[in-house]
Amino acid sequence: MSDQIRHLSDELARDPSSLVFLQLGETLRTSGQLDVALRVSLRGLERHAYSAEAHDLLARICADRGELQRALDEWDMVLRLDPGHYGARKGMGFVLYKQGRFSESEQYLREAAASGEGDASISHALASVERMLRPEVQQPQPESAAPSRNDARRLFADILADGDQTALLIDSSGLVLAGAYISAEGHEVAEEIGAALSGVREEAERAMRHLPLGAWTSISFEAEAATVAMAPVANGALVMVAADPAMPQGFVRRVLESCAARSRSWLTGAA
Amino acid sequence: MVGCVVADAHDGIVVEAVVRQGVNSNTVAALAASLYGGAVQSARAAGMGEVGFLRLEAERGHVFAIGWGDLVLVVIADVSVNVGQLRVDMLKSRESLA
Repeated sequence: MSDQIRHLSDELARDPSSLVFLQLGETLRTSGQLDVALRVSLRGLERHAYSAEAHDLLARICADRGELQRALDEWDMVLRLDPGHYGARKGMGFVLYKQGRFSESEQYLREAAASGEGDASISHALASVERMLRPEVQQPQPESAAPSRNDARRLFADILADGDQTALLIDSSGLVLAGAYISAEGHEVAEEIGAALSGVREEAERAMRHLPLGAWTSISFEAEAATVAMAPVANGALVMVAADPAMPQGFVRRVLESCAARSRSWLTGAA
Repeated sequence: MVGCVVADAHDGIVVEAVVRQGVNSNTVAALAASLYGGAVQSARAAGMGEVGFLRLEAERGHVFAIGWGDLVLVVIADVSVNVGQLRVDMLKSRESLA
C-alpha cells in the first residue's frame, strides 16, 4: 500500500494537473489516512472544480471522517454535475440512513439499485431501510416470545433517533447481541466493530486489577471518525455507542447511559 | 489529582512522572499505555482512525490518556475532578508538547 501511495504521489508531483489525485486520494482513504486524503482531494478540486469524480472522492472522505452533512453536500454537487452518478446516489442513501432519514435514504438507494450495478450492499441497505420504515410488515411475534432478530437490531433505534450515532450490545466473547452498525459504504459491520472494540474491555479490566480505583464503569475515546463510549452492563456484556466526533461528549455519555439501561432490561427480559 | 505520567506509548516506560506518594508511576504508566494502545488498535481495526483523548471512569477515580507520536500523557484523578477542564488542559498540553 505504501509503495502504491509513493508511486501515485510521485506521479502527481510530476504532473500536478493529472487526475491521478483521484486514485491517490482513494488509496489514502481506504488505508485510513483521512487527513492526507482530504488534503489531496482538496488540492485536486482546486484544479478540477467541475469533476464529479473529484467531488465524489471528497464526499467519501468526509463520510469516513464522520462529516456527514459535508458528504451530503458534496454528493449533491456530484449529482448536479452528473445526474446519473451511481456512487453519489449510493453514498447519499447510506449517509441519510445513518442520519435516520429513512424515507430519503430509501429514495436514493432505490435509484442506485435501479441503475443495475448489482451491488449487494444496496439490497442489504434497502432491506434495513424497509425494516425501519415499515416494521409492521415484519412477522408478528407473540408477547412472550424470545426477542427476534429484528427486535435485537432495533433495540436502540428510538434512543438513537437523531442519527449520527449507533449502538451495539456485545457479549463477553465479543459477539454482537443487539444493535446495528452500518458503515459509510453501507455494509453491516456490527460483528467486526464489536470484535475490535471488545479488546478495550480486556485492557480496562487488566488495568483495574492493578490500580486502586475499583471496577470500571465506562470508557470513552475520541477517534478521528467517531467518538466511542462503552460501559459494562450484565453477565460480562458491554454496550458501545459510536457517535459523530462533533457530538458533545456529555451528550454521548447520556446516550450511553440510556443504551446501558435499555440493555440491562432487555437482557433481563431475554433471559 | 493523583498523578500525571508521560510514558512511551509502545512499552509503557516512564519518561516523566509526578505522582502522589504511594502511587507507583511505573504501574500507572504501563497499564495506562496498554489501555491506550488497546483503544488505538481497536479503533484502527474498526476503521475509526487515530485515537485522541481517552477516559476511563471507575468507582473511585478516572484514568485519562492522550497520545502524540510515540508518547502518551496519562492522568489519574479522583472522582471529584472537573472532567471537562482536565480534558481541555490535556489537549492544550499535547499541543504544547508536540
